[in-house]
Amino acid sequence: MELPFVQELIFGLVTGSYIAVGAIGFTMIYGLVNMINFAHGEFMTVGAYIGFIGAEMLGLPVLGALLPVMLVSAVVGWGLAWVVFEPLSDTGPIPLLLTSIGLGLVLRNGIRLVATPEKRFVNLDAPTFRFDDLGFFVTGQHLLLIGTTAVAVVAVHLFLTRTQTGKAMRAMSDNEALARVTGIETKTVRALVWLIASGFAGLAGYMLAVGQGATPGTGFSQLLLVITAAILGGAGSVYGAVVGAYVLGITISFSIAFLPTWATELGTTMAFVVLIVVLLVRPGGITGEEVRA
Amino acid sequence: MATDDPDASAQQADETGEGAVDGVADRLGGLLADGPRVAGPLGGGFVVFALVLLFTPLFVAVPPGLLVFVEEFSLFLLFGLLVVGLNLQFGHTGLVNFGHVVFFAVGGYTAGLLTANAPSVGIGLGLPWPVGVVGAVLAAALLGGLLGVTTLRLRGDFLAIVTLAVAEILHDLLGSFQSVTGGGIGLLSIPTPISDLTDSANEASLITAVLLLGLLLVTYAGVRRLTDSPYGRVLRAIRADERVAETLGKDVFGYKLWAFVYGAAIAGAAGAVYAFTLGAISPGLFTISVTVTVWVGMLVGGPGTDWAVVVGVGIIVGFRLLTRFLNGEIPAVSADQFASVRLIMVGLLLMVIIRYRPQGLFGDPEELGVDR
Repeated sequence: MELPFVQELIFGLVTGSYIAVGAIGFTMIYGLVNMINFAHGEFMTVGAYIGFIGAEMLGLPVLGALLPVMLVSAVVGWGLAWVVFEPLSDTGPIPLLLTSIGLGLVLRNGIRLVATPEKRFVNLDAPTFRFDDLGFFVTGQHLLLIGTTAVAVVAVHLFLTRTQTGKAMRAMSDNEALARVTGIETKTVRALVWLIASGFAGLAGYMLAVGQGATPGTGFSQLLLVITAAILGGAGSVYGAVVGAYVLGITISFSIAFLPTWATELGTTMAFVVLIVVLLVRPGGITGEEVRA
Repeated sequence: MATDDPDASAQQADETGEGAVDGVADRLGGLLADGPRVAGPLGGGFVVFALVLLFTPLFVAVPPGLLVFVEEFSLFLLFGLLVVGLNLQFGHTGLVNFGHVVFFAVGGYTAGLLTANAPSVGIGLGLPWPVGVVGAVLAAALLGGLLGVTTLRLRGDFLAIVTLAVAEILHDLLGSFQSVTGGGIGLLSIPTPISDLTDSANEASLITAVLLLGLLLVTYAGVRRLTDSPYGRVLRAIRADERVAETLGKDVFGYKLWAFVYGAAIAGAAGAVYAFTLGAISPGLFTISVTVTVWVGMLVGGPGTDWAVVVGVGIIVGFRLLTRFLNGEIPAVSADQFASVRLIMVGLLLMVIIRYRPQGLFGDPEELGVDR
């Protein structure tokens, strides 16, 4: 007996996993710094290349490279944000947005200059599990990617709900002025948010390098999907972003599978159509703008 | 000193050593203060001059070595048209349109679809080229209207995302509908009215440049007429504070919508001219890099000041030309590496401008309310 759609569902979950990890960081920055960071895609690319250096050039095991990838990406992202974005923090969203486009251009082309446009893969020796009777297969890569995302989501959840800092973050995104009055070091919290968001961006990029290889444009090509996921889930909500990411991933894989042949390239297009429809129905974004648990 | 308000921009100029730029802005501004009155007739004059060159045996040609400058100048003028429209939307009205290339593309493709006479792939109706121009402007304006009606109620940053997404969607569609748009190959056999009338490609490119210069000046004059009027004051009031304008009884949404439509129509016209100059179009001509170039040019020049944004685009296009020549001089560096370096510089320029000179090189800080 063949199970219909299972293969597409697996592909959709894998695609959703990349997007989800990217969207967690994006939505945190949106919720707490009140900024749409167009350089978030490049923060992902940075992670992909750090991962490539660690796993392929220095010979670290694929899973062993995870920690250095996240740490280095976190520090790089936070450092850049502190130098580039923090001085503009009281100018409103548009100058920040434009500056992030500039930073994205610099990073993307800086990476291209150093690393050449060639596609880089992080090789993972993993078995493929075939379920020929049921009509689908799962690779070790798929399982690793989906599993990593699951761990990441649980970790974020525990952090936001169980730690003092996580609670401070949620308070701050609810009402920054009030949070400051009650003694929360908002500047420290902001720095921490940049660290976490960039670390997750780096992780997402590394997952892309493992799953499908990375070029200097990898993060940028994922950016609109990441933003779409964040807005779908109600910009600012971490869980919403994760759900939004999987909705998108499955939408894309089903579009590719079931649209007529001339339209198979339009998988991501379908995702943007979804985004536009959602924004038209809820012009202010789906829900509030706070980082919620 | 450059401005009447000594503690506003003069202090900033002293701190950042940009007094010279203010001086230039002042002089240029004075020179162009009569902009709308002079630019219109001047532009008309250039259009007529181009037509004279075209229809008389008078032969002009540029030396082949200078051809690249003429072509780059034409590109600057095309981007100038785009930035004048975008400035009406963002500089005057505050609408963050990140999909400006969409209207350029719709203009180009509408012109192509209506007039191409024997495309090997895709559709060409083979109509005369003026029909293509009118169709392009109407199609772009219509799309601008549709997009505006549905999205202009969104917050600024969400509007940016939606317009960007629309640009990506259109780009994907142009590449996918092979039977209509020619897919990745694009549309060939689009008429080239100017090249057809002269024997020399050289002369054609010069006439195109003169004609474009005329069109840009006429468009500039038209937009200046619009924005210098009470109408323009309403647009700037909306940019400054929408709710205040609303309270004053202005139909904010209507003003925004029409500003959006005008900007789209101008870009559509530019797209048609582009198609009729090249004789062929493909999705590769209409990527996000067009939007980025026009935006950076606008921000560098000074959003809200019509002549300044054109100068800003000139700076960016001139920079492209310069780096292109440098690339030829330094053979050790590949074209790809050079392109990367160029985009890094553009990105840095964008970041520096926003941080240290948010009113742009020639813009008015008080006017934009960005003084801090």
